[in-house]
Amino acid sequence: MNHSPSSDISAATSPQAQAATGRRPGTGIGKAMTIPGQVVSVLVLVLPLLVALYMSFTDWSPTRGSLFDASFVGFENYSELLVYDTRFLYAVLRTALISIICLSLEFAFGLGLAVLFMREFRGKSLLFSAFLTPMMILPVVVGYIFWMLFQSNGPINQILEFLFGAQACVEWFRSAPFAVTAVIITEVWHWTPLFFLILLSGLNSVPENPVRAAVILGASPRQVFWRVVLPMLKPVIIVAFVIRSMEIIKLFDEVFMLTRGGPGSSTETISLYIYKLAFNDFQLAYGAAAAFIVLIGSLVLVHMLLAPVRDQLLDGGR
Amino acid sequence: MTQPKLELVNLVKEYENGDVVAVDGINLAVEAGETIALLGSSGCGKSTTLNMVVGLEQPTTGDIRIDGRSVVGVPAGKRNVGLVFQDYAVFTSMSVRRNLAFGLEVRKTPKAEIARAVDEVAELLGMQDKLDASARELGGSELQRVAIGRTLVTRPSILLLDEPLSNLETAARHAMRQELRRLQREIGLTIIYVTHDQVEALSLADRIAVMNAGHILQVEQTSRICERPEHVYVAGFLGSPPMNLVSGKLAARKDALVFRSTAFDLPLCALADLQAYPGEQTFSLGIKPERIALTNPGKGMISGTVTLAEPRGHESVLSVTVRGEELKVVVPVESQPAEGTAVDLILPPDALAFFDGETNKRTDILPEGR
Repeated sequence: MNHSPSSDISAATSPQAQAATGRRPGTGIGKAMTIPGQVVSVLVLVLPLLVALYMSFTDWSPTRGSLFDASFVGFENYSELLVYDTRFLYAVLRTALISIICLSLEFAFGLGLAVLFMREFRGKSLLFSAFLTPMMILPVVVGYIFWMLFQSNGPINQILEFLFGAQACVEWFRSAPFAVTAVIITEVWHWTPLFFLILLSGLNSVPENPVRAAVILGASPRQVFWRVVLPMLKPVIIVAFVIRSMEIIKLFDEVFMLTRGGPGSSTETISLYIYKLAFNDFQLAYGAAAAFIVLIGSLVLVHMLLAPVRDQLLDGGR
Repeated sequence: MTQPKLELVNLVKEYENGDVVAVDGINLAVEAGETIALLGSSGCGKSTTLNMVVGLEQPTTGDIRIDGRSVVGVPAGKRNVGLVFQDYAVFTSMSVRRNLAFGLEVRKTPKAEIARAVDEVAELLGMQDKLDASARELGGSELQRVAIGRTLVTRPSILLLDEPLSNLETAARHAMRQELRRLQREIGLTIIYVTHDQVEALSLADRIAVMNAGHILQVEQTSRICERPEHVYVAGFLGSPPMNLVSGKLAARKDALVFRSTAFDLPLCALADLQAYPGEQTFSLGIKPERIALTNPGKGMISGTVTLAEPRGHESVLSVTVRGEELKVVVPVESQPAEGTAVDLILPPDALAFFDGETNKRTDILPEGR
């Protein structure tokens, strides 16, 4: 909290100062040099997005000629999705439910692990690497591994049988609640390490003195953690949630490998539904509209999540 | 004699199984209502001492007594000792009010009582209108006020302040210095400052304990410590510029006692005046820059050349080089000679201090009344 030096720096790099340097003569070459990058971003980002946006307002299907021959239907796809398509609605609700449960569990386990790793114990660095491993495995591979684990005669059922007898065995992919549970277990196993890693680095950067001050003021370790440490972690926690919620809204690979959305559509996530629309039913335009609804929904969600800490994050961490 | 508020008895703190000794057997008694400064450069063990008093660290050996009772082993937070950190360590996620209330909230004090205590402290610190502001919005001196207030709410019997002014700008420092003195008078707290800044120590404390390398070298009334340093480190640390220190030997020449250094010989007194001849040991001769007088060449005790003159308001600090040995001399700015001028120096015998070369402690060599 070095007030005078930091205020000096912020004065030098204030918006006015930056604007002034931006208007400096001779930056034409600089701007020219950004053109290749801008061209690439227009080609791979903006253009496909615009095409998809246009597509979402048509009734195009690849089996029926060119996109530009398809008839323009306005907001028909959108109104169909939002008003009549209960399968879409359920996919959204299901994804939301799975996300909330997964993120809560990942946060709880990640925080618990991070707190444990703030202490010294034997084998810490080995365990640290081990705990981070799941995160580095491809989602498809994780999905395949757990698909094998959850087979009716697979290791998980064998363990359950060994512990609790044959009646404890579960046909994981034949009943909706168990299929959802399997998806959640897989997802939590896969991504708890990310929460763990982010929260651990957050805990490590929590300044020491407020914690010591709280101890001196008579706070118990529990009070120190909940009242002082956790509030200081808030920006980090929110960033972790933003990153993870962006990922989990797009949940696809693991579910595809585990259940293909079944049984019925009981594990069908938004991504899986859009995939089926596009590549099973060839309703690409309709799928594009669904994707745009999800995009707008995620944008709103991220902004809402970030709102309480936006100033803090943009303010250089004060 | 009344019981001291805080007593440190042979306090030792070692790290890494004794390889590093941060605090090496210090003894200190702080009276109730007194303001004392632990003064020393960084790494001298003052912060470690502070941490042990407050309970963040446990002493290796020795005892800490508050009101006569040992608090070693009593957890921090149960010692009734407050600590204000150098960086204030205010809880930025809370409002000023919640910050102030924190110490009582965690003790499960009734809400009405907390509100009353918070209002009282806010009034004392002039922060009533800031109570609902977020701590994140506060400036340096306000943060410090919150840090102090947060501690005062818990009614500590001893308040420890770690470098209380060093993070403030000059104007805020002056205001805060006055405020701390006022608080101290109004509440009658026992305050211990830890600082590396002698101006801060001199302006705030009743007594100063100078620390170096894990030892307390001298504890003295603030008004006297500059006048009579008892240790060569204290002599070279206090004052701006600090005391000139020249090492040399005592020798008898004819019938006079002479201080001989590589740079100059200084006759001290007649041998006959001495009760005992101190012998040929090494001594450091100390003299304050203010006590050296300039005179024309040939008229003083030792001759030198002014190599640097630094005007400093109404006075000027001269560096006078005497055959390789540099002495600082403070003169009024109007009588400041130009750089390069040859001058003679007069060192009044009653301004001289001698420090034993072995023990580094002050020894009186010259007879009284000189």
